[in-house]
Amino acid sequence: MFSSSSTTRKIAWLTGLPLLLLLLSGCSGYDPMAWLRDAPQSTFDAKGPVAEQQLQLFYVTLWVTAFIFVTVGSVLAYATFRFRQRPGDADKPPPAQTHGHPIVEISLIAAAVLLLVIIAVPTVRAIYDIYELPDDEDMLVIDVTAYQWWWAFEYPEEGVTTANEIAIPVGRKVKFNLRTFDVIHSFWVPKLGGKIDMIPNRDNWLWLQADEPGQFWGQCAEFCGESHANMKFRVFAYEEDQFQEWLEHQRSDAVDPEEELAVEGKERFQGRGCLACHTIQGHDAMGLAGPDLTHFGSRVTLGAGMVENTEENLVRWLRDPDGFKPGNLMALDQNVQNLTDEDIAALTAYLKSLQ
Amino acid sequence: MPMQNEGSSAKVITEERESKPVGLARAFKRPTATTGLVGWLTTVDHKKIGIMYGVAALFFLIVGGIEALLIRMQLAVPNSELISAQLYNELFTMHGTTMIFLAVMPLGAAFFNYIIPLQIGARDVAFPRLNAFSLWTFLAGGIFINTGWILNMLPAIDKAVPKIGWFGYANLTSAEFSGIGTDFWVFGLQILGIASIVAALNFIVTIINMRAPGMTMMRVPLFSWMVLVTSFLIILAFPAITIALACLMMDRLFGTGFYEPVFGGQPILWQHLFWIFGHPEVYILILPAMGIVSEALPTFSRKPLFGYAIIVFSGVIIGVLGFAVWAHHMFTTGLSTIAKTAFALATMAIAVPTGVKIFNWIGTIWGGQIRFTTPMIFALGFIWMFMIGGFSGIMHAAAPADGQQHDTYFVVAHFHYVLIGGSLFALFTGMYYWIPKVSGKMFSEKLGKWVFWTMFAGFNITFFPQHFLGLGGMPRRTYQYDADMGLNTWNMVSTIGAFILGIGILLFFYHLVMMLRKGAPSGNDPWDGRTLEWSISSPPPEYNFAAVPMVTSRDEYWARKMIPEKKKLIENEKPEKSIHMPSPSWFPMIVSIGILIGAYGMAFLKSGYSFVGLGTLFWPIVGLLIITAGIYGWAFEGPGGYHLHPEEEEGSGGYRKKEPSDKSK
Amino acid sequence: MSQAVATHDTHEEHGEHPTCTGIPNKKMFMWAFLASDCMFFGCLIATHMVYRISPPPGSPDLQGILDIEIVSISTFLLLMSSLMMALSVHAIGKNNLKSFRRCILATVGMGMGFLLIQSYEWYHFVHEYDLTLTSSLFGSTFYTLTGTHKIHVIIGIIWLMTYYFYSFSGKMDHKSELDVEVAGLYWHFVDIVWIVIFTVVFLLEFVDM
Repeated sequence: MFSSSSTTRKIAWLTGLPLLLLLLSGCSGYDPMAWLRDAPQSTFDAKGPVAEQQLQLFYVTLWVTAFIFVTVGSVLAYATFRFRQRPGDADKPPPAQTHGHPIVEISLIAAAVLLLVIIAVPTVRAIYDIYELPDDEDMLVIDVTAYQWWWAFEYPEEGVTTANEIAIPVGRKVKFNLRTFDVIHSFWVPKLGGKIDMIPNRDNWLWLQADEPGQFWGQCAEFCGESHANMKFRVFAYEEDQFQEWLEHQRSDAVDPEEELAVEGKERFQGRGCLACHTIQGHDAMGLAGPDLTHFGSRVTLGAGMVENTEENLVRWLRDPDGFKPGNLMALDQNVQNLTDEDIAALTAYLKSLQ
Repeated sequence: MPMQNEGSSAKVITEERESKPVGLARAFKRPTATTGLVGWLTTVDHKKIGIMYGVAALFFLIVGGIEALLIRMQLAVPNSELISAQLYNELFTMHGTTMIFLAVMPLGAAFFNYIIPLQIGARDVAFPRLNAFSLWTFLAGGIFINTGWILNMLPAIDKAVPKIGWFGYANLTSAEFSGIGTDFWVFGLQILGIASIVAALNFIVTIINMRAPGMTMMRVPLFSWMVLVTSFLIILAFPAITIALACLMMDRLFGTGFYEPVFGGQPILWQHLFWIFGHPEVYILILPAMGIVSEALPTFSRKPLFGYAIIVFSGVIIGVLGFAVWAHHMFTTGLSTIAKTAFALATMAIAVPTGVKIFNWIGTIWGGQIRFTTPMIFALGFIWMFMIGGFSGIMHAAAPADGQQHDTYFVVAHFHYVLIGGSLFALFTGMYYWIPKVSGKMFSEKLGKWVFWTMFAGFNITFFPQHFLGLGGMPRRTYQYDADMGLNTWNMVSTIGAFILGIGILLFFYHLVMMLRKGAPSGNDPWDGRTLEWSISSPPPEYNFAAVPMVTSRDEYWARKMIPEKKKLIENEKPEKSIHMPSPSWFPMIVSIGILIGAYGMAFLKSGYSFVGLGTLFWPIVGLLIITAGIYGWAFEGPGGYHLHPEEEEGSGGYRKKEPSDKSK
Repeated sequence: MSQAVATHDTHEEHGEHPTCTGIPNKKMFMWAFLASDCMFFGCLIATHMVYRISPPPGSPDLQGILDIEIVSISTFLLLMSSLMMALSVHAIGKNNLKSFRRCILATVGMGMGFLLIQSYEWYHFVHEYDLTLTSSLFGSTFYTLTGTHKIHVIIGIIWLMTYYFYSFSGKMDHKSELDVEVAGLYWHFVDIVWIVIFTVVFLLEFVDM
C-alpha cells in the first residue's frame, strides 16, 4: 500500500507504538496501518458526515490523551530513573519526608480540567449534531426491524420491503427507524456512523448519510443470543438515478422461473412449506417469520450478510441450517430437516433465479 | 498455612474456654479447635478468613483464566470451528462473571480481611462470625453459579450454564429466550450480593469503630481508607442489582412483566438498574487496588504518600461521582441529547480525581529512594497500565465517538487495561507486598521479576492490539469473525499474548508455592514498612497486637522507627495479661449452606427439570428452615470467647502453642 | 469462673470497651444496613414510578381501586407501633420487664394489624378487581413493592417476638437495651418506608398532574 492520505498518516501517528513508527521510517512507503483503514468495518475510513465527525472527535480525544500520556509518562519515567536507589543509599538517612505541595497539586488539577474542556466542547457539539434529527425535507426514511438473527427493511414511502441488504442514495440523509421483533439488537454501519440499539418498547432512530457510492458492511453490535456473530447486513450507496432503478426493481414482483429445475423448485418451495415463513412477492408466498426472498437471487450475501450468495453456500445452508447459523429458527422446522437432495437442488435453482 | 515461630517473642499461652452454650446452641456443641479442618471451617479469625478468601479467589482466577484462554483460542483464526456458538457464549458470560465476582472482588476481600485489622491496630473485625458468614456465602455463590458446568455433563439437563453475558441484558434473559442457566446466574449473583453487602457492612463498622486509640480518620492508612469508600459503594450499589435480579426472578418464575415487552415492560429498565450497580462496581474493583498501590509506593520510595488528604478526598469523590455516570454505558440506547451531554460531562469529571491520584503517586516517588522490588515494579506497572485504561475511558466519555467504540473490542481493551493492568496488577502488588507478612516467608526477587515481565508483556500483547481490532470494526461477544474483515493478524497476536499472560500467571503460582515451601524467614518488617502491620510478627499472632498501639501519627510504625521520642511510646505499651478472643462457630457456615440449598431449590422451581425432587417448593423451604435455625443458633450462642495470655515482650505478638483444652468445660 | 467470663462478654457487647466513635458496633451496623435498605426500597419505588409515570396500555384505573381510608388506618397502626417500640426500648432500659413485654406485644399487635389490613387489601384487589401479580404491570410492581415491605414487617415481628419470649428466660435486663434499640431502629425504618410507599403508591394517584 502506497497510500499517503491524511487519514492514514494520522492513523500511523496515533498508534503511539514507537515500534511501528520505527517500522514506518525504516521501510519508507510501507504503511503498517493500512489494514486498519482497509478493513471493511473500519471506523477510520469514514464515508459520511456522521462517521467523519465521530472520527474527528476521536482524534481530539486521542491527541489530548496522548499529550497527557507523554507528559505524565515522561515525568513518571524520569522520576523512576532519577530517584532509583543507588548502592549505598540504604545506609543513608531516608529522603526528606515531604507530605505534599498544595500549589503544585492545585495547578495540576486546573491543568487537567482545562485539558478536559478541550474534549468536552467538541463532544457536546457532536452530540447535538449527530443525535438531533436534522431538518431536511429530502430525507429518506427506512424502517428497520431486527430479528434473531437477521434484518427486515421497509421503505414506507417507496413501498419497498427487503431483507439483509439495502440501498441508500448518495448525498441524501437517511433516517433509520430502529425496532426489534424480539430481543435487543444494535444497528451499526461503521463507515457511515456509530451504532444505535434496537430495544423492545422503545422507538429509536438514527440518521446517516453516505458521501460516496460503495458497499458498506453492517453488523449487529449488541449481544442478542446464539448467532449474534452471524447477524450482519450490507448497505449499498448508489447515485440517485441508480438508486431509483434499484427501488423500481425491488418494488416489482419476483420473476417467474424459466429453467426446468427452477420451476420445479418453485413448486417445492410451496410443497415443503417454505412459504409459511418467507415472502416471495407475486409467488403466493407471504410468510413473515423469515426474511423476504422476493429478489433473493440479486443479493450479494446469504444468511444475513454471513457469506457470499453462491450456489454452493446456498446448498450448505439448506442442508444444515443449524451448522451454518447456530440456533436459527429454520433449523427447528421439520420440513427443512426432511429436505432431500433433490429438494435442495431444485430450491437452490429457484432461489438463485429470483433476480 | 505454616505457623512460624518468628523471634519467639511470646512463650507460653494458657487458654481457658469458658462460655457455656445456652438455649438452642446446646444442640450444637461449640467448636473449640483452632487448628485442623474443624478449626478452618469454624474459624472467626479474620486472618484465616482472609487466607481462605485468597485461596478461593486464586482458584477462580484460574477457572476464569482457562475460560479466557479458550475464548482466545477460538478467536485465533477467523471462522474457527473449535468452539460452538453456544459454548462460546457460555464461556464469555462465565469469564466475566467469574473474574469480577469470584476472582478480583474476593481477592480484594482477602486483603480487606487480613490487612485492615492489622493496619488500624485492631484485634479482629467488628463482627467476626459475620465475617465467616461472608466467606462461606461467597463460596456458596461461587459453587452455585458454576454448577452449570457440571450439570451440562448430565444428559437430562443442558443449557445450565448462563449464556447471557455478565451484564444479562433483558429481555434476552426472559424465560422465552433463555433456560435454567439464567436462573443459576440470577440466584448465584444474589448469593454473592448477600456476601458482599454483609462483608461491606462489617468493614464499615470495623474501620470507623475499631481503630486503635489515637488513629484519627486522617491517620488511617490509605488502603483502609479506600476499603471504607469501597464498602460504602458496595452497600449502596448492590441493592440496585439485587432489585434488578429480584424483578427478573419474578418475571421468570412468577410470570410478572417487569422486563417483558408484551406486558408493556421496558427492557431498558434493566440496563439502568444494572449500571447504577455496574458503574460503582468498577470502582469497587479499582479503589482497593489504588489503596494497595498507595501503600507500596511510599514504602518502596521511603517517603510518605504525597498529598495524603487529596488522595483520600479524590477517592471519596470518585466514589460519589461513580453513582452519577452509569448511563455512559448506555450511550447507544437512544438517550436524549441532554442526558447524553450530562453523562458525558460527568464521566469526564471523574477523570480529574483519578488524574489527581496519578499525580500524587508520582509526587510520592519523586525525591525518594526507589527500591525495585517485585511489589514495587507491579505498582509502577499498575500506574502505566491504569493510565492507558484511563485514557481510553476518556475517549468513551466523548459520547458520539463512543457510538463507534461501544460494544467493540476497543471497549474490551479499555476495561482489561483497567481490570488487569489496573486491579489485578495492584492485587499482585498486594500479594507480593503482604504475603511475607502472611506466611512469614520471603520470595526470590529474581523469579518475581520474571513473573512481572511475563505478565506485563503478555498482557500488553493481548490487549493493546484489541484497541485496533475494535476500531477496525470487530464487535464484542462474537464467536466468529469473517476472514475478509482484515482482523486476522492482530487476533492471532492477541491470542499469543493471552498465552504469554497465562504463562506469567502460572509462573506466579509456581513462585507462590516455592515461597511457601522454601522461602527464607521474612522477619517482622522485610520492607522497612510504614504502617502498623509491620510492627508485629510474621505471621501475626492470633490476637494481632499483644498491646494495642497508641497511634500518634499517620505512618505510625515508621515514626516509631525514626523519631526517638516515639520509641519511648513502645516501652509504655505493656502487653495485656489476658486477651479475650471470640470463640469459633459452626453457625455462619450452617446459614450459608441453608442459602445454598434454598438457591438450588429456587433455580429448579419452574425450570421444568425434575432433578432429585428439586422441582418443588420443598427445597427452598428446607433452605429457609436451615437459615432460620442457623440464625437462632447464632444469636443464642453469643460471641462466646476464651482468653489468650501473651507473655511480656513488647509490641510484637506471640506465637501460640496448642494446649490441650479443658474438656470438662 | 464461667460466671465472671459471661459478665465480661456481656460487658464487651455493651460497649465497656468504647469504640472510636462512641457508637456501639451493633448500632452502627444497623445504621449502615438501613442506608443499604434505603437503596433497596429506592430502586423498587423507582421501578414502580417508572411504570406509573408512563403507564403501559391496559393499566387499571387506580382511582377506582385504591381505598385510601383503609390504607390510612393501617398506616396509622404502623405509626403507633413505632411509639410502642420506643416505649419498649425505654422500658427495658429501666429494667421494667413487665412494661417491656406489654409494649413489645402492643408493637407486634399493631404490626399484625397492619399486615391483616394489607392482606385484606390484597385479597380485595385480587377478588374484586382481578388485579394479580401477572394481570398488569401495575400488579407486578405493586405486589412486589408492598410484598417486600410486608416481608420486612414479618421479619420485624419475628425479631420482636423473639425478645418477648427471651425476656422470660431471665437473661434480659437493662443491658439488653442496645439489642432492643437496634431492633427498634429497624422497626422505625420499616415504618418510615411505609410512609414513603403510602405517599407514592397511594396518595400520588389522587393528585391530578
